[in-house]
Amino acid sequence: MALVLLWIVLGIVIVLALAFIVYYNRFTVLENRIDNSLSQINVQLKKRADLVPNLIESVKGYVKHEKGVMTEVTNARKAFLSASGKGDIQKTVRAGAELQAALKSIFALAENYPQLKANENFLHLQQELSAIEDKVAYSRQFYNDSILSFNNSVETFPGFMFAKLYGKKEKQMLSIPAEEKVVPKVRF
Amino acid sequence: MAEKLNFDDEIAKNKVKSFFLMLVVLMVIIAIGYVVSVLVNPAYSFIIFAFSIIFSIGYVLISYYNSDKITIWSVGAKPASSILHRKLIHAVENMSLASGLPMPKVYVMHSQEINAFASGRNPRNAVVCVTTGALDKLNKEELEGVIAHEMGHVANFDIRFATLVAVMVGMVSIIAEIFLRSLWFSGNRDREGKGKAILLVVGIILAIVAPIVVQLVQLAISRKREFGADATGVKFTRYPPGLANALRKIKREYVPSQDTKRYPKAVAPLFISDPFKKKFQNLFSTHPDIDTRIKRIEAM
Repeated sequence: MALVLLWIVLGIVIVLALAFIVYYNRFTVLENRIDNSLSQINVQLKKRADLVPNLIESVKGYVKHEKGVMTEVTNARKAFLSASGKGDIQKTVRAGAELQAALKSIFALAENYPQLKANENFLHLQQELSAIEDKVAYSRQFYNDSILSFNNSVETFPGFMFAKLYGKKEKQMLSIPAEEKVVPKVRF
Repeated sequence: MAEKLNFDDEIAKNKVKSFFLMLVVLMVIIAIGYVVSVLVNPAYSFIIFAFSIIFSIGYVLISYYNSDKITIWSVGAKPASSILHRKLIHAVENMSLASGLPMPKVYVMHSQEINAFASGRNPRNAVVCVTTGALDKLNKEELEGVIAHEMGHVANFDIRFATLVAVMVGMVSIIAEIFLRSLWFSGNRDREGKGKAILLVVGIILAIVAPIVVQLVQLAISRKREFGADATGVKFTRYPPGLANALRKIKREYVPSQDTKRYPKAVAPLFISDPFKKKFQNLFSTHPDIDTRIKRIEAM
């Protein structure tokens, strides 16, 4: 009898120990995925910021009377670089979205300058930037997916008990900043 | 969805099935070696048997590590260029970001029909191959939908099992088709006597065995996985009309038949739609009915 009891206790201990390991690993894997997807967003945002000086250079010669838009873009880029330097996720993504909005106004402006629209360098940059915009959207989607699967495992039973033990809390998804939803104004 | 797929289960199943497939192929080759060694002069039997063991291990290992290259080679695809196939590279990069999978190698194969397949032993060593027809006829959203479907196969580990079946089991038919074709073309050259007779016998045996092998391959690769890849693909793009419209274009297009004869039948189940389109859906079809797929995708 005592022997059977011993086996049962031993079995429970082993199952518990395994659960501790499994959940520790699951949380680690999911958190690593989140970190990795975040760095993917950052890579794309940086790439975009790096293209901005080239864009301004190629636009400058054609658009002499629209300094306002140019400084807007330059400032948005500066704001983005300082935000990403500080490593604040929400702020970086928001600044990235603002930069995107400012870029949109440059492209809207270009509609008034047929010569600029025909410029090969400009066209290339435009394509490049719109490709980056797709990538930002997709990597942000994956970031939110990763957060979702992390939150699911932190909040569901029995995961939430282990989450408490390991001090894991649910994480915030990236919300799309309001500016990005607004269709940019086209000024004629 | 009528049949619900649990993706974790599917992934595990695909891995287990791949392992057993390799084991079975290993055993079959060794068994053939054993039979041959018994039939032939007993004095050499040990050598033949030993050779068959080494050969079977080599065959399984080589096809496991090179399955992607063999499929790419068997359809004659070329690596995609970042300048000529910009649209394609961007689509694959986007889907790699959306799925969180590593960037696969991208290939382009020459064919007028809209088609694509994925191959490789795991997501780290995946390849995605697209026809030139798909690049010409699909717009950005549709192409992304098709790539997402292929990345769905990669994510679900379909590619490992499907590619292994196509390569390990289908190798007989791939070799047979190449062999028969060369026999056809060299038919008139006069080579005397025995050599030619043996070639002819081998050719006839291969011609009989190959279709059976192709049927085996098609039966082994479940049609259900296409629905799974459609679902996973839509999860990546979040845009069901992309893939649905691509499938519609595939359904509508007219493909000259000489265009599809260029790839071995054993690799057909890997493609997003059956390159050897038949008029009627039957038990041996490699792919589920396109209309059913479109209906399911649009219900997502």
